[in-house]
Order: sequence, then C-alpha cells, then structure tokens
Amino acid sequence: MRKRPNWYAWLAIFLISQGALQRGFIQDRWARDFAPKGSLVKGTGLSPEQFLFALAGFREMVAGILWVRADSFFDSGNFDAVLPIIRLVTMLDPKQIDVYSTGMWHIGYNFTDEESRSDRRYVPSALALGKEGCKQNPDTYELWFETGWIWFHKIEDDYDKPVYYFEEAEKRPDMQPARKNLLAMAYQREGRADESLKQYFKLYDESAAEMKRDPSLATRQNMETLLQNIDTLLVRMSQRGYFAENNGTYASGEYDTKPPVDLGFSVKASIVEARVLRLEGTWNVLPVGTHIRVVLRDKDYPGGKVAEMDWDAQDEVTLDPPHDRTFMQDQLFVKNRRFSKRIDMSKDVTIYPFASKSYILELFYSPRLAPPHLQDKFSWNGEGMTDANYLNTVVRPGQRVIYASFELTRDQMLRFNQWADTMPILKTPNFRETTERGGREDVIEMPSLRTGG
Amino acid sequence: MRAIIAIGRTTLGEAIRRKVLLVILLVGVLFLSVAPGLGVLSARSETVVLRGMVLGIIQLTSALIAIVLTVYMLPNEIERRTIYTILCKPVQRWQFLIGKYLGAVLALGVMMLLMTTVMEITVAINQGIDANRMVELATGPLMFFIQMSLLAAVAMFFSTFVTPLVNFFLSAGMYLLGSLFATFFETLKDNPNTHPLPKAVALVVNTILPNFSNYNVQNHLINPDQTIQNPTAYYTFVTGYGLFYIGVLLVGAILIFDRREF
Repeated sequence: MRKRPNWYAWLAIFLISQGALQRGFIQDRWARDFAPKGSLVKGTGLSPEQFLFALAGFREMVAGILWVRADSFFDSGNFDAVLPIIRLVTMLDPKQIDVYSTGMWHIGYNFTDEESRSDRRYVPSALALGKEGCKQNPDTYELWFETGWIWFHKIEDDYDKPVYYFEEAEKRPDMQPARKNLLAMAYQREGRADESLKQYFKLYDESAAEMKRDPSLATRQNMETLLQNIDTLLVRMSQRGYFAENNGTYASGEYDTKPPVDLGFSVKASIVEARVLRLEGTWNVLPVGTHIRVVLRDKDYPGGKVAEMDWDAQDEVTLDPPHDRTFMQDQLFVKNRRFSKRIDMSKDVTIYPFASKSYILELFYSPRLAPPHLQDKFSWNGEGMTDANYLNTVVRPGQRVIYASFELTRDQMLRFNQWADTMPILKTPNFRETTERGGREDVIEMPSLRTGG
Repeated sequence: MRAIIAIGRTTLGEAIRRKVLLVILLVGVLFLSVAPGLGVLSARSETVVLRGMVLGIIQLTSALIAIVLTVYMLPNEIERRTIYTILCKPVQRWQFLIGKYLGAVLALGVMMLLMTTVMEITVAINQGIDANRMVELATGPLMFFIQMSLLAAVAMFFSTFVTPLVNFFLSAGMYLLGSLFATFFETLKDNPNTHPLPKAVALVVNTILPNFSNYNVQNHLINPDQTIQNPTAYYTFVTGYGLFYIGVLLVGAILIFDRREF
C-alpha cells in the first residue's frame, strides 16, 4: 500500500510559504503599484454597495461606467451632476489623466453666471484637482502642463506658478515639443525675457537636432517658427530697453518705452440697481487691446489678495465653494480711450450672495497682460507707462501696475436703507463726466469692402 | 496521477455541459461584444473606458463562474451518490478532490480563454492591432485566472462541509474580504494614531487571509501612460503565492473530506 502524504506537513509548508511571499515580496510592491490611493478609502460619496464593488477589484470598471455617465450629463448640459462624478472617478482610478484634465477645465471654466463670468470661487478647487493629478501621475507631463495652463490662461497672474508647472512638465520625457513654447511665453509674462530667450534657443537646438534625424516638413516648420520667435523676442528685448536695463544704460538710450505714456486712468462706479454695477472711466491708450481687471469681493474674503485671491490656497478638492462668499472678477475693455460696462449680478444670487457687510472693488492693470503691440510701448514691467494718480509699484513687486480700490457696504450693493433711493456712486477724483465724443482721430473706423466698392 | 487526470477530465466535460455556466459565459461574451458602444469624450478616454469595461466584465463573469462551478461540485456527487461508485474504486479521497478541483480550474480556464479571445478581438477591432499591447492586455485575464483558481479553491474548501447556498455566500464574502482587507490594512498601517495591537492583529489577518487584491493588476493595462516597476517579478511572486494558497485550501479540504462520512 502506498504511503499517504503527510497533509499536516504540507499544510504548514504551504501556509508558511504563502505568508512569506505575501509579507516579504508582494505587500510592498502591491502597495506601491496597485493599491487604491489614499483618497478612495477616506470616503468617496459612493453608496456602500458601489464602494464595496469598487474596492473588490472593479475600481476601473466603476470609474469607466461613471465617466460614461458623466459624458451624458455633459451632453445634456447638466454640469452640476458632472462635478461629483469627476471626483469619484479620480478617486476610483487616479490614473485617468483625461478625467483630471477635463475635471480641471470643467471646474475652472464651466460654472458661469448669466453673463458668462466664471464663478471664481471654484478655481482653487480646479487647481487642487490639478495638484492631486500631478501627485498621482508624476511621471507624465500632462497634468503638470494642464495645471500650468489653468494658471497661465485662467488666472493670468502670479506667473511664477505657470512657470513652475511648465518647467515640471518639460522635465517629463513625454512632453510634446510644440507645448514647450508655452514655457517661453510664461517666462515673458513673469518678466524674465532672458529666460524666455534661453528657452527658445534650447528648443531651437533640439529642433535642429531633430531636423538631422527627421527632415520632415513639420520639423522644418517648427524650427522656422522658433527662429522667428527668437528674432521677434530679440527685437522686442532691444527696443523695449531690456538689455539696456540689465547693463545699466537704459537712462541714456532711446527706446520705445520712452517717454512713459500717461494712462490718465479714472473710474466711476455706480450701483445702478441692487447687485448691478456700472463702471465707466478713461484710459489714454487709443489702440484696442486693453483689458482692465475688475474685482468685487468680500473685504474679508478668505485668502483675498490685491485684485485676486490666494488661488493656491486649497490642497484638498472640495466641490462646494464658499457659498456665503462673493468674489466677482471681470474685464473692462477700452475703446476710444474710454471704458463702460454694466455688470449685472442680480440674476445669480447663489454666485454673488453679498452676505458680508463690507466689500472691496478693485481695478487693476498689469503690463504683463498687455497684447504685444501695447507691450511694445509699456514693456514687461511697465517702464513705458505711468499714471499721475494710480501707478502702483507695491502691489506687484517688480512691476508698475495701475491699481485703484474702493470700499462698499452691503447696503450700498443691495440698495438697502438710505441707498434705496440714492444711487451709490464711487469715483476717482480725476473722473470727468463726458457725453461728448472725442475728435475724429479717436474714432476707430473699420473700412468696409462692401460699401467702399 | 492517472486517477486524478481521469476525474479532472470528467469534471471538465460536466462543467462544459452545465447550462447555468454557459448562460453566464454567454452573458459575459455579449457584454464584451457591446462594450465598444460606450463612447466618451476623447480617444484616450475611449481606450481607458473600453479596457476597464472588458477587463471588469471578464473578472466579474469569471468570479461568478468560479463560484457557481465549484460550490455544487462535491454536494452534487454526494447527493446523486455517484461519489460511491468512484470511491469504491482504487481512488483515494484526496485524489478525487484534487481531480475535481483541477477539472474545475481547467473548465474555468477554457471559459476565460474564450472571453479573453473575444476581448482581444473587440479591442483590436476598435483600436487596431498592436501585438505588444494585445499581449500586455492578456496579462490581466491571466492574473484573473490565478485569482479565480484561488477563489475556486476557497469554494472547494467550503464545499467539504457546508451546503451550496451557504458556500456561495461564504465564497463571495471571502472574495470580497480578501479584496478589501489589503486596502484596509494599508490604511491602518500608515495611520500613526492606530494602537500597535490592532495593527498587529491586522498584520496577522492580512498574512493569513487569501489576498485576492494581489491580482487586481489591471490599472496600468487600462491607463496607457502608466508604467509599473518590474511587473514580471510581481507576476511571478503572486503566481507563487496563488499556488501556495491553493495548496493550503486543498490540503485543508482534504483533511476535512477525509474525516467525512457519507
């Protein structure tokens, strides 16, 4: 008779072997490469059965189903419903880069009022999502680039931030060559034209090397574009006196930025109805392209800064902005040396609750935001512009900006009490009412081919 | 060995003829075929969603098949009294049990192979033929196969002493627990405020419990931009782990089955 195996010995061997493998070789690798990351286990808003299903190895499947659902909400314009889904999907599968990038764009751009102004209270959440995405996907350039883009395009301030994110994106090997140009642009917006030039030269060298490997039309076009960018930037740096400033000869030379143009900024703000603001003013620059930032916010808005807020304040993604807080930001476009805009916040009480007692109305202009044809006069730091009353060199160190602010009360904004019959008007002392149009030279006439024959 | 092979072959034949399994398989294949209909925002999103869906469908269908296939295996033999005709021959109980298990795993393998083929065809039709990506994608179902073999061993172990219905829920519960516990353990381990005693208990439980989450490796297969460090070593370790744990469960089942009286 054959001897029976010693099952207890086998049991012990198998048990110890599996335990040793699990503890010694698998656990850490699993935790590093495959474990659901932190936020998932902190609570997701999933129902218990969804949560169990997700954790039981079906995370990606649940994420996929939810993302498809989100798409149908996008199509039907139900943006509010998309928000929690984005959060869930990024928790379930933090490697889904598209969900992070779409989510950032959605949170940052799509919550708008009746006049298509973004609800800026959401922007820190969009950036927090970007930061989380970068942390979860550190090896690919995409979320670094996308987060940088939100800073560059949406916030248009604090340019050290987009520079940081674009630099990080460029460190990743999968960074697309065409997108590297944006770092050069961000350097310029930060006032670092020399770094911008270095970046263009670096890209040109890379492009020339690529040209040797792959002499295709696309590579040639890329190389020629870079050459043109270098040429344009060198001319601008020279004509705007950038080199002269750096070598201490600016004062004695002739540059396009001299003499500085007096912007003659003035403004009048009227609360024409409850929650409706009318802004009028002057700006002594004839060419079109000026947009002046206007911010109306709670005086004690959390993280409130001069003409902006601390956009980077949030590390956790919260889908609920501070509902009892008001932060409105818009642009005033200058035409024929004047600007006039009616900002109606009455239809969006949830975005502009006006629950605080005091508000601050800020008007801000930075030369860094000027289009190139205006920047050719103002330069990157505002050397070519001045203003007798509102030039400010403090609120943005290193820049000469235009800044004016007024304080308002809740009663004024809502036209309560003594303001029910009296229109609150705030204006700079130099503001002059005018109904007259300027001379013929002030009117921008657009030639029409049809009427002109 | 010949007895084990003979029992395994018979079990495979029986399993393939079972209608309930074929229905589950058919539903799985149908879902795999319609998965590309889930169009979303971008081409990459479509890739991610499609891969997530097809791998999820295979995993879910395989888990169902593994449990349903195994929970009835021994009880049916006992209920129909066919076990007597086998055990009266020169076949030992452990040989019978291992033969049954191997037959079940083989049947599971055939069904999973079919689903994997459908998955590969579906993905190739929608995203083009890329041999490297197809091979890489197949590692998902391969890991699921080991996971499901482990699940089948769990169900086999329970089937030696509980009824099929109870076994169904016990095995499913064990699958859930074995998938969840590692995450729970990681959270507990990383929490500096947790007392060392619960940490130690969790460590013991995590070492003893069948760790199904080891095989949920699909994330980097689904998200094309993600890479992991040395996947081959990891796959080798978890395969070894699976084999050892299956050994634990089968030996446990043999020890119980040996003492059972019919």
